[in-house]
Amino acid sequence: MIDQEVRTPAPRTGGVRAFRGRRALTIGLGAFAALILLRLITGESDITSSGTMSAMLGLAVPIGMAAMGGLWSERSGVVNIGLEGMMVFGTWGAAFGAYFGHSPWLGLLAGIIAGALGGLLHAVATVSFGVDHIVSGVAINILAPGVARYLSDLFFTHESGGGATQSPQLPHFPTWSVPGVGGPLGDLEKHHWILISDLAGLIRGLLTNLSPVTLTAAALIPISFYLLWRTAFGLRLRSCGENPLAAESLGVKVYTMKYAAVVISGAFAGVGGTFLAMVASSNYQEGQVNGRGFIGLAAMIFGNWRPGGVAAGAGLFGYADALQLRGGASAVHAMLLLLGAGLLALAVWHAYRRRMVTAVVSAVVAVGLLAWFFLTDELPKEIVTYSPHITTLLVLAFAAQRLRMPAADGLTYRRGGGH
Amino acid sequence: MRRAVKMTAVAASAVLALSAAGCGGKKASTGGGGGGDSKKIVKVGLAYDVGGRGDKSFNDAAYAGLQKVQSELKLDIKDIEAKEGESDNDKIQRLQLLAQSGYNPVIAVGFAYAGALGKVAPKFPTTKFAIIDDNTVQQPNVADLLFAENEGSYLVGAAAAKKSKTGHIGFIGGVATPLIKKFEVGYTAGAKKVNPNIKVDAKYISQPPDFGGFKDPAKGKTIAQGMYDQGADVIYAAAGLSGTGSLQAAAGAKKWFIGVDSDQYQTAAADEKPYVLTSMLKRIDTAVFNFVKGVGENQFQKGDQRFTLKNDGVDYSKSNPTALGDLPSTIDDLKQQIVSGKITPPEK
Repeated sequence: MIDQEVRTPAPRTGGVRAFRGRRALTIGLGAFAALILLRLITGESDITSSGTMSAMLGLAVPIGMAAMGGLWSERSGVVNIGLEGMMVFGTWGAAFGAYFGHSPWLGLLAGIIAGALGGLLHAVATVSFGVDHIVSGVAINILAPGVARYLSDLFFTHESGGGATQSPQLPHFPTWSVPGVGGPLGDLEKHHWILISDLAGLIRGLLTNLSPVTLTAAALIPISFYLLWRTAFGLRLRSCGENPLAAESLGVKVYTMKYAAVVISGAFAGVGGTFLAMVASSNYQEGQVNGRGFIGLAAMIFGNWRPGGVAAGAGLFGYADALQLRGGASAVHAMLLLLGAGLLALAVWHAYRRRMVTAVVSAVVAVGLLAWFFLTDELPKEIVTYSPHITTLLVLAFAAQRLRMPAADGLTYRRGGGH
Repeated sequence: MRRAVKMTAVAASAVLALSAAGCGGKKASTGGGGGGDSKKIVKVGLAYDVGGRGDKSFNDAAYAGLQKVQSELKLDIKDIEAKEGESDNDKIQRLQLLAQSGYNPVIAVGFAYAGALGKVAPKFPTTKFAIIDDNTVQQPNVADLLFAENEGSYLVGAAAAKKSKTGHIGFIGGVATPLIKKFEVGYTAGAKKVNPNIKVDAKYISQPPDFGGFKDPAKGKTIAQGMYDQGADVIYAAAGLSGTGSLQAAAGAKKWFIGVDSDQYQTAAADEKPYVLTSMLKRIDTAVFNFVKGVGENQFQKGDQRFTLKNDGVDYSKSNPTALGDLPSTIDDLKQQIVSGKITPPEK
């Protein structure tokens, strides 16, 4: 499975690139069409409303930033499960910078620096000292809440509204909207016209009331792609994740590359933490990260260690969570139909490709889901809360067969270890 | 490899040291100067629930009571915060630490302490304990402080229904526990009393045993935005810290918000204040203060002590008169009917 997709770094033709682009577009349009259909069948107007779309964006940003952090680190061969802890550093750093600097922008800067420091710690442990990546990551995850509480105790307890577990109120970021989008599209959306209202909801949700952190996060995805896949720096960095000894023999400074990657990784987690503390809420609170670093890692794997896939994974999780939080039991119930139909299509595809076991399993699960949809009116609330996690699990289970991680991911590299 | 092991050990010990430092509570300065006091020194200990001091809600109400103890009774106090995702063992140790260091009485804030207190209380028979929001621990040295949240919620539910123009209101609960459901039931009953056709949307952020729902403002905000988008124009959030996110959403949508436990009008940011219609007050501060005072006067009572509308244990706040308008006349009337026993708000 590992060498399924190993390519020589030969110049990639425009054809491959265009193919990837077209495939992504097809998947995106297909998913959107499925959602519109679902809205028409079930009458749940919240499925494509601008509120759901903007909530999706808000929930996807921290997960997406954690996932991009993981991508940077793992592309250089360092597994980073310390992202959760680095996000905690980010939330605290953002609060510290914004409160004492009296500016949200200083908060963003401090959040990034705090996250990067967490990354640096991981780099020192794993790259310089060769500590097992998982051990170091777990240590950072345990360390971060302790450090954050200690520092809050030191800096925030004497401020009004602050305490050992939270910071005082922080200054707000301004929000921006693309001019001329909010009003007219809002009217279109109210009509519930097929396609037009859905599109209006999508565009309005994604283009209005954006915080600068959201825009930064959105910009960082193509920037990362460009740096990693279109520059010499990126090629060197990725070669450290595929075969560090070969890279070394060609004169690449592997330690430097890994340090850079892991520190950048922490900085991404810091952006995610800043978003949580300053945009998603109005102050730092202990436990605010609440597992989002780990979900980010799942999104990274789902995205096959590529920026576009990572964005899609974060979006999927954000959408599932938004629907669950806003619409609740009936909207998620509608999703059963989509999931069932999708699995049925997958079963047919597998049967066509003569993978009978997978086909049968998919078909059985699909029939079960469809039966569940038609026999009930609502899902139990207990299950609805976990629907994003269940979605991730299902998608990962079916997507995992096509994934390829960097070949030297998680292995300890020693300079000159090749002879 | 050996070096790797050593590094791990170093990292691990650093973690331990830091988390230990993080857990230490602050010791408040002793009131009343000099050592000339011949009175018996009473030291009061208080252990917070998850969320801790500064949640602008449940724990802060307990802290307010403690501050009153300190300033009016001039006692030595100590408060310790809970840790994120801790086990029952951590709670047992926290209570034991307080009791062993001579703090008496010791107050456990929140039903999460029930299991721990059941084990610790018998070991320290001379220490007086109190637990808030739970009555499963029945011991000779434990007072169970209970609140009629359904009565207070009934009043704010009536206020919400009266204020709503769309005939659609919302309820956001932190975690779907029986305690929080009591808030929902009272709220719905109060709203239906005023407007039998009102639509009440109820949503819980997390399901037990995941107690994260009390401290996820991002989700509190998303849910509230969803409810406002779908036509609700008043939302009551009984969700601890997460409620701060719901309030943000209210200010963003320019719709009404109802706070819980403490008067959230007082702690809201300036641009959010106008949207706080009222708060359901749960006088944990009064309960804590009276309990400590009672122990000081040798009038400790074991078992259930109920705080209701009748004895001012729960109430609603009138700190935003512009928003309330003429609502208090209706609500105060309902309040009288509950106090006199004419109306009995349901509990489940």
